[in-house]
Amino acid sequence: MSKKPQSQYCMDAKKSMDSPRLQASLHSLQNRFGKGAMALWAEMDDQDMRRRVKKSRMKNLEYLDILLAELAKNVRTRGGHVHFAETAQDAIDYTLDVARKNEVKRVVKGKSMLSMEIAIDPALQEAGIEVVETDLGEYIIQLAGDKPSHIIAPCIHMDRSRIGELFAEKLGIDYTDDPPSLTAAARKALREKLLSADMGLTGCNLACAATGHISLVSNEGNIRMSTTMPPVHVALMGMERIVATLDEHRETVQLLTRGAALQKLSTYVSFVGGPSSDDDPDGSKEFHLVIIDNGRSKILADPEFREVLACIRCGACLNICPVYGRIGGHAYNSPYCGPIGAVVTPLLDGINKHADLCKGETLCGACKDICPVQIDLPRMLAALRQKLAYGSDRWNTRQHNPLEVYAFTLWRLIVCWSPLYRTGLKIARLCQRPFVEKNRMIKRMAGVASGWTDGRDLPPIAKKTFDEIWQEKHATPLPKLPVATKEDNNA
Amino acid sequence: MHKQTTFLANVRTALGEAPQVERSKSTFPRLFAAPDTTETLKKICGRTVTELNELVTIFLHNGNMLNISSHIAESLHEAADVVVELIRTKEPEFNYVKHVIMHDHPDIAALELWNRFNREAVTLHTTFSRDRQITDKTIASFIGITAPTIGVADSATVIQLTEPGRPRSTSLLPSLHIALLRRENIVADLAEAYALLRQKSYLDSLVFISGPSKTADIEAHMVYGAHGPRELHLIVLAEPVTER
Ligand code: SF4
Repeated sequence: MSKKPQSQYCMDAKKSMDSPRLQASLHSLQNRFGKGAMALWAEMDDQDMRRRVKKSRMKNLEYLDILLAELAKNVRTRGGHVHFAETAQDAIDYTLDVARKNEVKRVVKGKSMLSMEIAIDPALQEAGIEVVETDLGEYIIQLAGDKPSHIIAPCIHMDRSRIGELFAEKLGIDYTDDPPSLTAAARKALREKLLSADMGLTGCNLACAATGHISLVSNEGNIRMSTTMPPVHVALMGMERIVATLDEHRETVQLLTRGAALQKLSTYVSFVGGPSSDDDPDGSKEFHLVIIDNGRSKILADPEFREVLACIRCGACLNICPVYGRIGGHAYNSPYCGPIGAVVTPLLDGINKHADLCKGETLCGACKDICPVQIDLPRMLAALRQKLAYGSDRWNTRQHNPLEVYAFTLWRLIVCWSPLYRTGLKIARLCQRPFVEKNRMIKRMAGVASGWTDGRDLPPIAKKTFDEIWQEKHATPLPKLPVATKEDNNA
Repeated sequence: MHKQTTFLANVRTALGEAPQVERSKSTFPRLFAAPDTTETLKKICGRTVTELNELVTIFLHNGNMLNISSHIAESLHEAADVVVELIRTKEPEFNYVKHVIMHDHPDIAALELWNRFNREAVTLHTTFSRDRQITDKTIASFIGITAPTIGVADSATVIQLTEPGRPRSTSLLPSLHIALLRRENIVADLAEAYALLRQKSYLDSLVFISGPSKTADIEAHMVYGAHGPRELHLIVLAEPVTER
């Protein structure tokens, strides 16, 4: 029997499920950080904090134009440059222009998902510029020519021996699979790159409009290096990553580091608000802040999805999602994976294109429970599915599967008319006979239905329905209830 | 500027506002309103030595969990002893000579480290603003000494402001970072620290440091010394006070 060709999503998911290494890492990651974050929220003294921060995130979105203008003004006062980029291409062009003017040959990058979203690396490389990731995990991924599979633990799918082989090959060191030695080797190699780079390219975790700073969190210190040593610093910022005041910053950044890795604060939180002054020996004589829209204003405009812009990208939802916990990050085929990726990727990059993501999650609600800012991802996943089912002009979405609509219309007809339903059941009981195995389970079904039994056995349809059994055993008929009439309802 | 105008007009359209009418922050005074911190500031200034010592205990306890090595010194001389011991016993990571780089700060100058090394080959540098070779000296140094402005007990954080003569790289490039913190500069939590920061009329760049640089990217195995210092030594300067 020929099978429908599987989607990339299914194939990648299957690959992950077949890898015991990845399954073990995902399991321990979720065990530690997922459960840890839930415990942290439960123990937190200030139980109102998450709600408060969410409220301030939503409020700030309402005044986004004012906040962005204020941020830009304050950065410019310090002598920094601010560029507003409506599209990815716009941001790339601007960065390339800065690179060209400064004769940049080597760029060191602090981890930034936005840089992946706008695909700036290939553009820089095409211009003959060497691009070096400096976060250890991202660096390993880059050396391997692979893609990250977790927001904060990018190379969770690789084991130490694979990394050891990779380093032996690419860095010319003797093979070792000892994490401290491997880290030391990367430290040395990257220090050279960091000290000789012409430009640092980072993201922005959270900007503060009132003081005109961007802030960046890291544990490794690579972000501090990338923002301190090279003579030019370009920071890419998603337009929603902003708070109004320092006080909002304090609470938000704490939720970010707690959600991400159960830390009260990450090892480093750096605030940058412009180029360094003339008598400062450290680098960054030029500071460019690129504020990027790239589809965000469209999300902002839709009340159904605006909430997703309150996300602070902590990655906590990945650490609890039962789907992510099995299929890993690669299947999402996006810089943003896990539950947040399943909502934000279709919105930024096309709902039809990423239909698998909307349909892949289980709507169990765990992501909403763990989210430091209580974003209702399940609600938005359901809304995305609704768009797929009926199509949407606003989101330029066509009906994903018209056949599905016919099937459900038919189903509605059947279940609403009991004689038809009963007859159908009888036929189905007959049809299933050849498939019922000795253990009284259905091991394999035919045609499109085969997907249901690929990974499990199904119980057959029972000989009698519940209703029939009830009728037999407790046959006293119920007293007839008065039937509500239309007039009653309207009264 | 043109880009900014159309960009923000788009945002306003998305928000259902008139795209061409710029909204001014003065119309929404509550947007940037900050809570009153007078009480917090009063509390910080009014702490007794006993209370401060409690904060020190909390700081050291939390710091311990973050792998911060801490020392309490009752005098600048004692603090200098700790520093000298570290310089003597630790080995350079990236070269073979012992260079030490220090912020231009009165407390660090008062350690009089220059007076301590008569026989060993130890070179001491200070990050004076006019020195054009500071970057090279910092790269060559295996220990960097700073005197952070604020310490936060709850998260075991030191806050380092960038100021003339106090560049960022001193706490970043050397393999070891020594932070000399006066007891009276320790506050209880981030809320207090932010209240102090808000008082500054001008904030250049700054960094919160809570421990040595670390990574767990390889099989979730914790390793200290990813890109920044692999050790953070905190010296709390707690000079005995008779009266306060
Ligand atoms: S949706 Fe919530 S949990 Fe997920 S990354 Fe965003 S802020 Fe974190």
